[in-house]
Amino acid sequence: MEVLALLDCLSAPACLLSQAVGGLKIGMLLFLVASGLTLIFGVLGIINFAHGILYMLGAYFAWQAMELTGHFGLSVLIGAIGVGIFGLAFERGLIKRVYESNLLIQILLCYAVILIVDDLVMIIWGDEFLSSIGVPEIFQVPPLFIFDAVIPPFHLAIIFTSLLIAILLWMLMTRSRFGSLVRAAAINPKMLEALGINTNFIRYSVFVLGSFLAGLGGALAASERSIVSQMGNSILIESFIITVIGGMGSIGGAFLASLIIGMARSFGAVAMPLFTDGLMFLIMVLVLILRPRGIMGEKK
Amino acid sequence: MKNKKSYRTLRRKLMKYGFAGTAYASIGFPTLLKAESNIKIGIPTLLSGRVAQLGISATNGIKLIIDKFNEAGGFNGRKIELIIRDSRAKPDEAARMTRNLINSNKVDIILNCEASSASFAVQEVIRESGTLCLHCISETSSLTADPSIRTWNAFRFARQGIHDAVGSASYAANLVKEKGLKKWMSIGPDYAYGRDSTATFFEILKKFSPNIEIVGQGWPKLFQPDYTEVITQIVREKPDAIYSCLWGGDLVSFVDQAALYGTFKNSELFAINLADYTTMSAIKNLPEGLHSATRYIAAYPDRQENRDFDSAYTSRFGDHPTNWSWETAVATDFLISAIQETKSLNPKKISESLKGKSRQSFIGVGEENTVTMRSRDQTLVNYAIGWGSTLPKEPYMKDVKAADWESIQELEKEWLTSKGWI
Amino acid sequence: MNVSIKDSFKKDAIYSVVSWIALLSLYFIFNDHGIQDIITKVAILGLFAMSLNILIGYLGLIAFGHATFFAAGAYTLGLFLQSDFIIEYNIGSWSIPIALSLSVLLPGILATIVGVICIRLREIYFSFLTLAFQMIFYSLILALVGITGGDQGLMGGFPKPPFLGINLGIHFHFYAFTTFIVILAVFLMRQIIESPFGYGLRMIRDNHERPAALGFNIRSHQLLAFIIAGSLAGLAGSLQALLDVGAYPEWAFWSKSAEPLFMILLGGMQTFLGPLLGALIFELLNDFVSANTRYYGLILGLVILIFVLGFKKGLLDWIVIRGRKN
Repeated sequence: MEVLALLDCLSAPACLLSQAVGGLKIGMLLFLVASGLTLIFGVLGIINFAHGILYMLGAYFAWQAMELTGHFGLSVLIGAIGVGIFGLAFERGLIKRVYESNLLIQILLCYAVILIVDDLVMIIWGDEFLSSIGVPEIFQVPPLFIFDAVIPPFHLAIIFTSLLIAILLWMLMTRSRFGSLVRAAAINPKMLEALGINTNFIRYSVFVLGSFLAGLGGALAASERSIVSQMGNSILIESFIITVIGGMGSIGGAFLASLIIGMARSFGAVAMPLFTDGLMFLIMVLVLILRPRGIMGEKK
Repeated sequence: MKNKKSYRTLRRKLMKYGFAGTAYASIGFPTLLKAESNIKIGIPTLLSGRVAQLGISATNGIKLIIDKFNEAGGFNGRKIELIIRDSRAKPDEAARMTRNLINSNKVDIILNCEASSASFAVQEVIRESGTLCLHCISETSSLTADPSIRTWNAFRFARQGIHDAVGSASYAANLVKEKGLKKWMSIGPDYAYGRDSTATFFEILKKFSPNIEIVGQGWPKLFQPDYTEVITQIVREKPDAIYSCLWGGDLVSFVDQAALYGTFKNSELFAINLADYTTMSAIKNLPEGLHSATRYIAAYPDRQENRDFDSAYTSRFGDHPTNWSWETAVATDFLISAIQETKSLNPKKISESLKGKSRQSFIGVGEENTVTMRSRDQTLVNYAIGWGSTLPKEPYMKDVKAADWESIQELEKEWLTSKGWI
Repeated sequence: MNVSIKDSFKKDAIYSVVSWIALLSLYFIFNDHGIQDIITKVAILGLFAMSLNILIGYLGLIAFGHATFFAAGAYTLGLFLQSDFIIEYNIGSWSIPIALSLSVLLPGILATIVGVICIRLREIYFSFLTLAFQMIFYSLILALVGITGGDQGLMGGFPKPPFLGINLGIHFHFYAFTTFIVILAVFLMRQIIESPFGYGLRMIRDNHERPAALGFNIRSHQLLAFIIAGSLAGLAGSLQALLDVGAYPEWAFWSKSAEPLFMILLGGMQTFLGPLLGALIFELLNDFVSANTRYYGLILGLVILIFVLGFKKGLLDWIVIRGRKN
């Protein structure tokens, strides 16, 4: 354990800032994906174990869009929307059949989809990794120097965009009619049915929203990361950890937990480079033991 | 009630195994009939994921040589048949597949094209079965250098970590003197190859340049998508030079992401695995002046045979050859020569024939351009190792300096002694 | 009641012996290493899947982290056989029996620790916690490179000294020994499942609250079942390590825990030997598909979908459906 290195870093503004910004970037991208996961669980009661696939497809679709249009923003948007459509098909075609089944069946269904789609992307786009879609032109500039810390402007853009989406999501959930319907459906779907509201519509629109968010995370990540089959698996695990820590069903909790995990990754890489993953799971274990409902989850 | 159930259970169990056996036998029989005429070579490798290029280019190298051999009539009319399996880089899958290739497919020889970690697993399987095995990819020294790991029926036809370390360190030492590169960092993938390559590089470099200082080490996970943590570390430490043994898609991502931070303006990068065509062409904005070893470059060694290999491969497969391509091509060439010499497929006979064998090669820098399969530890020597700096387009490298094999073998001996392996 | 337990014990013993003899004759009927290997592998995986089914099928506890104990057994055996312990204490021909015993004991202890912590949680949280422990175990294996070899697994193999006239280096001996151990373990499992303890497990699975009201200690039943399942998984892992002459961190990764789940799905969780049948289907599928196409995941995924969506109602009809949330 490199405790000295960690203390050194925490006391130096340059290190503190650059690690913090790095942690924010990691955390915010994770938040986009994890928010979708926790939303789906909160409203539909389904653990979407296939969520990593949505992230991966976001990257692949964005890449394909980039090949066709050459425009960064458009590609990211197309990527995210494409995954939203895929999510719709996925929910209507497969997920809705296992709403009433037990956890084991749901997990197995999702795992089957992971296996299938991981191979499908290889068949469609080839076995090898695809290069990232690249950072948009306006951000191909030298990094900023703030208090001696080196900060690429593009990372600031990602953080800002993710925050914006988080706020929009919060407003949607708390201020709009759709949001109140969704929250009501999470608590008492039967009552809503009795009031003549189409809960089916609510179900799949939530799934589409969750998929869109995951796809957006993948599309944005594709700006820097290479695109390959199974790239969603590690993201899936991290999203799970975040969902558990934040509280399953709580978007606010997912936000906080994403920050925690992002920072843990960033500073953890300084303190214990070989055990960073284990550290995340340790945090998850502690949460499950001490406060299973998570930071902001509801008591059942 | 229980009687009936238990009886049914037993009967079902017997039926299950009977069914299994018959099913498998019926699948197996046709292949048994065909087997006699062909010489079968089993190739466990990885064909998918971030490093699919490894398996693809490796098997291409084999095909290039084998097809020519088969067209020329093969071995007294017997053709060589390749059976290729994808283990997806999992060592336990590699072990399983190797066992299947030997026991179910009845291959005569294993051409192991697995990456390092899986190669150790394959080694244990062939050690038990006594099948002849040529390791064509693994560069981890201990596979042949460690007497407790090597075995009489396994040969390494790939470059070796310690050889590259000496070649790299002597090139770097010159630049340390020239440019005053005192503070170093390492960024290596956190697995055996990464750890070994990094450790031996610095061990040897310190012999040439004792005053260098290692200010930090980054150990990202293999196939890790995001290098932010590692890059911010570099930004913090501000090293004069960075040694990295990242490879394939990992190296591409790292260079792309680090470029955003302007990393290479302030630190000289020594990326041993950079100069492979597929890697360099995948990097979005390849900076100039990065340093790399010549994994495979048509321009070095600068001779016609090498350019011929490059054009033959490229015209057939559409891509340039990689480091893995030349390794498998040389392995296949040696194997065919051994089979022709001994007129046999017996592992012991072929093993004897391979030990100490030298053959002329487009990649050889020994006497009369030969490469040699060293007898003592059954690993390849006298293959081309060079270092130079990168260009953003063809020929991708300039100022290539050849490594000196005498000093390599000398320092290698010292290193082996220090490990207690000699 | 007493008479029928003794009777069923005798019957099970006879069936076990007969099965073993049948398997031995299969070895000579199919004089082909390929087929013999399949039987060996199915035996090992079947043991692994059946051990998990104690929890899933009989207790109704869905454990996601079962491969922890499989890997623990494998590494225990490998590390012991590689250690200088054997030479120092001149254990010689006792090596493998001791190694196997340790591979049941140590995973059992690990299962006790993990079980005590996890059993307190319900449903989804239990499942996730077992998974989290598995991934911590996995991270530890990778981090402690000096001991475990890290990502490469245990390298260099290990000796298999002969004992009691059995030489595991000889193919037939290995086959006979492995099938014997597995059948023995299955026999023991049978006795446990058909005992009052086993019926207690079923009762917990079917009626959550009532048994406690009758003074029945649910927690201790669950913990004991967890320990037994973990120990048997450890045994399976040690046999796998003997087969591969090594131990690999992949065996501690979360995807390894999915494999016995597939086997239980394919073969059924209602019957005692269901998971064994599932292991057979899984292994045949694996071998056949990987020999013919690179897209093994696609085929396996489709097969699972067919079972999950098609046979769903049939196979799992009578497992208590607890609804989507708790």
